[in-house]
Amino acid sequence: MNRVILITGANGGLGLAIARAFIEQSADHRVWLGVRSRRERADAMASEFPGACRVVSLDVTSPEAWAQAVQAVTDRDGRLDVLVNNAGRHEDSLLATMTPAAWSNVIDANLDSVFHGCQAVLPGMIHRRWGRIVNVASLSALLAPAGQANYAAAKAGVVALTHALAKETARIGITVNAVCPGYIETEALEALSPERRAAAVAQVPMRRFGQPREVAAAVRFLAGDDASYVTGATLKIDGGIL
Amino acid sequence: MNEFATPALSEEIKALLVETLMLPQAPGQLVDDQPLFGPGGLGLDSVDALQIVVALDKAYGLKIKDVGEAQAILKSVATIASAVHQHRSV
Repeated sequence: MNRVILITGANGGLGLAIARAFIEQSADHRVWLGVRSRRERADAMASEFPGACRVVSLDVTSPEAWAQAVQAVTDRDGRLDVLVNNAGRHEDSLLATMTPAAWSNVIDANLDSVFHGCQAVLPGMIHRRWGRIVNVASLSALLAPAGQANYAAAKAGVVALTHALAKETARIGITVNAVCPGYIETEALEALSPERRAAAVAQVPMRRFGQPREVAAAVRFLAGDDASYVTGATLKIDGGIL
Repeated sequence: MNEFATPALSEEIKALLVETLMLPQAPGQLVDDQPLFGPGGLGLDSVDALQIVVALDKAYGLKIKDVGEAQAILKSVATIASAVHQHRSV
């Protein structure tokens, strides 16, 4: 079965890995890469898979941008079956010294964005009585580490939103699930010093960081027919940390 | 029966409700003035209301903007038919 899939934040390692997982699953899928800036890597993937993969401009914090992006997808492919809310950012600091901007920027980008995205895609999914929403939260939602009050609160909000929306849409054929990745080999970890990297690895019972494709496989499962009875779930992908 | 909508439009709305909500009743078994929600009504809930709102937008381009408007329009088949009729007349 071919699906029309929109992945936000598809200019980073995790978003691109999720896109690749869907493309590898079926050449008939239509995968849309939602990006606001730094389009180069998304453009490269679209060039690699012409016809199967396209880039759409999307500032996830803007309801108007969501409306335009969903319209662009449905104009071309007739519908939108799967939304993967993957876009996010973090600005870590201790709460006592956190600026109001750092708080609101992170809440906007990680939590408000999911609200806007779900609102944008739900009318079409409700009309067709089928849909899959997968929200990429974070292990920080469950661990709430020091220095990430804004990010942890936003991602915990995503988990709660996921549970509530899953209950609202369950009988309409729309499933809503979340994944909580732990340490994954993406751009965020590349910035770690060797010492901090070693300390982080030591926290992981598997003694290694996860690969983006290992998160992507879980997202693909939750978006697929095999997960038809799974909704409101929060799946940790963390090598056993929690 | 309200003073605006035609019987044909009411029948159309009933068919839309049965299809959208997968109701066990036949469209002809629905009564124009029967409340859709609450005691003595069809027993619909807020998720049903959400589906009706989307269906009315898709079928007639009728956009229900807020909860207050939804409560007024979604009282019964008759009030929905009236709202659709007025929307078409604009």
